[in-house]
Amino acid sequence: MPRTIHLKVNGKQHAIEAEPDTMLLYVLRDQLGLHGPKFGCGLSQCGACTIHLDGAAVRSCVLPATAAEGREITTLEGLGSVDKPGPLQQAFIDEQAVQCGYCINGMIMTAQAFLDSHPDPSRDDIKQALDNNLCRCGTHMRIVRAVERAAKNWRPAS
Amino acid sequence: MNARPESASAASDISDFGASRRQFLKTSGGLVLGFSLFGPLAAVAQQPATRLPASASGGAQTFPAVDPARLDAWLAIHPDNTATLFTGKVEQGNGSPNALAQIAAEELDFPFDRLFVVMGTTTSTVDQGPTYGSMAVRYAGPQIRHAAAAGRQVLLSMAGKRLRVPVEQLAVRDGVVSVVGAPGLSVTSRSITYGELVDGKRLDVTIGATGKTFGMKVAPDARLKDPSKYTIVGTSVPRKDIPGKVTGEFTYVHDVKVPNMLHGRVVRPYGIGSDLLSVDESGLRDIPGFVAVVRQRNFLGVVAETEWSAIKAAEKLGSKRVRKGPTDGQAKWSDWQGLPAMDDLWETLRHASGKDTSVARRGDVDAALRGAAKTLKATYSTPFETHGSIGPELAIADVGNGYAKFWAGTQMPHQARRDMAELLDLPVENVEVNWVEASGQYGRNGLEPVMADAAIMSRAVGRPVRVQWMRWDSHGWDPKEPPIVQDLEGALDHTGNVIAWRHHMWVPTFSDTRLLASELIGKPVGQIHLGDAAIQYEYQFDHADVVAHGEGRVGLITAWMRAPGQFETTFAMEAFVDELAAAAQQDPLAFRLKYLKEPRAIAVLKAAARQYGWKSRPAFQGKQPGGKATGRGIAWVNRDGSRVATIADVVVDRDTGEIRVKRVVVAHDCGLVISPDGMRNQIEGNVIQSISRTLHEEIAFDRAHVTSRDWASYPILRFNEIPDSIEMVFVNNSAQYPSNGGGEPSTCPTAAVISNAVYDATGIRLRQKPFRPERVKAALARA
Repeated sequence: MPRTIHLKVNGKQHAIEAEPDTMLLYVLRDQLGLHGPKFGCGLSQCGACTIHLDGAAVRSCVLPATAAEGREITTLEGLGSVDKPGPLQQAFIDEQAVQCGYCINGMIMTAQAFLDSHPDPSRDDIKQALDNNLCRCGTHMRIVRAVERAAKNWRPAS
Repeated sequence: MNARPESASAASDISDFGASRRQFLKTSGGLVLGFSLFGPLAAVAQQPATRLPASASGGAQTFPAVDPARLDAWLAIHPDNTATLFTGKVEQGNGSPNALAQIAAEELDFPFDRLFVVMGTTTSTVDQGPTYGSMAVRYAGPQIRHAAAAGRQVLLSMAGKRLRVPVEQLAVRDGVVSVVGAPGLSVTSRSITYGELVDGKRLDVTIGATGKTFGMKVAPDARLKDPSKYTIVGTSVPRKDIPGKVTGEFTYVHDVKVPNMLHGRVVRPYGIGSDLLSVDESGLRDIPGFVAVVRQRNFLGVVAETEWSAIKAAEKLGSKRVRKGPTDGQAKWSDWQGLPAMDDLWETLRHASGKDTSVARRGDVDAALRGAAKTLKATYSTPFETHGSIGPELAIADVGNGYAKFWAGTQMPHQARRDMAELLDLPVENVEVNWVEASGQYGRNGLEPVMADAAIMSRAVGRPVRVQWMRWDSHGWDPKEPPIVQDLEGALDHTGNVIAWRHHMWVPTFSDTRLLASELIGKPVGQIHLGDAAIQYEYQFDHADVVAHGEGRVGLITAWMRAPGQFETTFAMEAFVDELAAAAQQDPLAFRLKYLKEPRAIAVLKAAARQYGWKSRPAFQGKQPGGKATGRGIAWVNRDGSRVATIADVVVDRDTGEIRVKRVVVAHDCGLVISPDGMRNQIEGNVIQSISRTLHEEIAFDRAHVTSRDWASYPILRFNEIPDSIEMVFVNNSAQYPSNGGGEPSTCPTAAVISNAVYDATGIRLRQKPFRPERVKAALARA
């Protein structure tokens, strides 16, 4: 039966009612209205649902919401906004690194966590970091360029 | 979608999303400007707006169509001097809203960054035909150009009256009309913005329109801008959707919520043709939020208050990635095994009934073959492929008493409206499709079929239902690109000239628009057309025989996927030309040029060769030392008037069988390029997606159903495999060459380019797609 789940998302505390086995993705999207993370496969294969859990990129489509209690959850919305985009988001805008954009949440969330731990990556390092994220439109060249651009002045999260 | 920001911000929570036009009408007090553009200028009339849909609660709702002969069908000018362009075309990730808005802004002399685009919604936009076939800019572009040019004339007429000067004394810049050559007037009386002129009213002006959809002519008498004066068309302007998409603020159809909405999931038959025998509903009511099972003949779905409850209920009935058999789950299906064996697919195609179409017939191929110094024969085969949108298909339906409303990402909202009316036995006026952007589509994926799923479930439960396919529903049941088998035969004379060419192809339909759910309930909606040739045969061989055997549905529902059919026919034609060039020991570029007359074809081949630095030599100079071999390949296409030549370098790893594409050069002639960076983005996308299709993609199936049901069983290209560079050259990019399509053409050459490059590197010919490592290794072992 549903119970109260306490989640800290983008610095804010929330108490939501959900079944304990509900995957975090549905709580974020349907109950908290955070549309950055996307449903792509539900199988941890494509990366569209990627969020940060205590700074690490994880797939929210296979993570029970209860497993995120007591931890810091960050979504795409936590990195910036249209009015004030974060540096990686700005780099994607500068490189026009979007076609349909559905996979881009996963690209940015994965790259953000990667850059925080690898501030001076080679192009091959970036490709390797994104290799488990799928893009169907074929925006890969621009996505790599956007991450390279952001990496130039990267200041890792403290 | 580039909706106006103020309407987009609240969009995901309001029930009439996509209707920012109506929002505008409401806020503007329903006042209209009424006069005829090409008749005498009438006084501005103040009348109530009549195009608002009736919204009587519970009763029939009607949704009038938009009249393309009226200016306000295309354009609204707002008091803050922003503007909205309305178009029946939709965005599928191609960036077409930018190109269409650039065309409109150019003719209007209006700043691009203040012009927003509303797309697709049937109550707000003109039916300009579906968004497919690289035809948005090519066909909708001129319609919008004429409407915007007419709009400028209307606005100038109004300004002339207001400023009391002849129109000839007016000039427009960035949406501000100024009097020229009239010294002594005060500043305020000398200029006025479009927004001030229109003052929040509707542009209820007749501009004229004839014909329908693609062939529609809008405002035929409008005076168009001289292209030499263009300042917006031909420039790269940033896409307005990208900031929202990289921050999570953008509203996809997946994000739309409608009041009182439930969540639905489908449970597909076990076999393509299985009958539903029984449904055991035990335990479903224990799932919190479970609402109902929806069962109609072979259609099965579940509806619940939350997504998670719907997913769990559907799983109990049998919706999962791997199903062990027709009784695996609480829904029991008959054991249908009617698909051909995968190995027999090509023979099945050869024996399927259909209709032959002769594409080219010249001379006497059989006689030429008999008298040839050298003859070659080869068969090329290509499998089923899935569109594989990263976001699975989704639609929301609200089917009430005498009306139906949808929120959908369909590539053809106006046609989908008619199809939904037919499915639901409703007059088309009582159906509205609110278009909201979905994940990339690349053709007819399941975004129309899922509307039928949602319609049936909403009708059954009497509430709006949001249906999202699971990953296995999308891979397993979206309409597929059809498999094609092609036999080729060619002959050379003793000097190495081609004297005969035969190309026969067996092509199942790629326009099967039957809605899956409509078949499952036994009320088919949509058509199954025969496959067609999808080839432009341009070579001037003395004796030629090109025939397409067009077929209906073979096994699975198949419908267009990016460059449908022509991706495959270009593979066969351009790889076999390469085989003949190699047999003649000639350079593959020079060999092609010998047999081409068409100047734009020759131009793209030469432009690509120049950019690449092509040096003339025959392909495959003998086995290269070491484990890795490098080669270059070339191919070209004419897809509906857009010419593309592609050259690529590949590396073949002899030990693993892996092929990597390293450097790609594309010469692209689609005439005038409206938005160069948008075009480059499209070409990069076409190249990468078609490399993926060439190297990896094949839908597997057993005798009952598709077994490629996720990304593990249907791999696509990953970051580690992308090329080092994709270079592009635009050819004939000028106004004397009208803008043609760019969404698909650069997909076509890729499979042939890679096959030809692998031959150049290793001497083996890959004639069956995909070129997976095990297949490459087997071919290398045979060589």
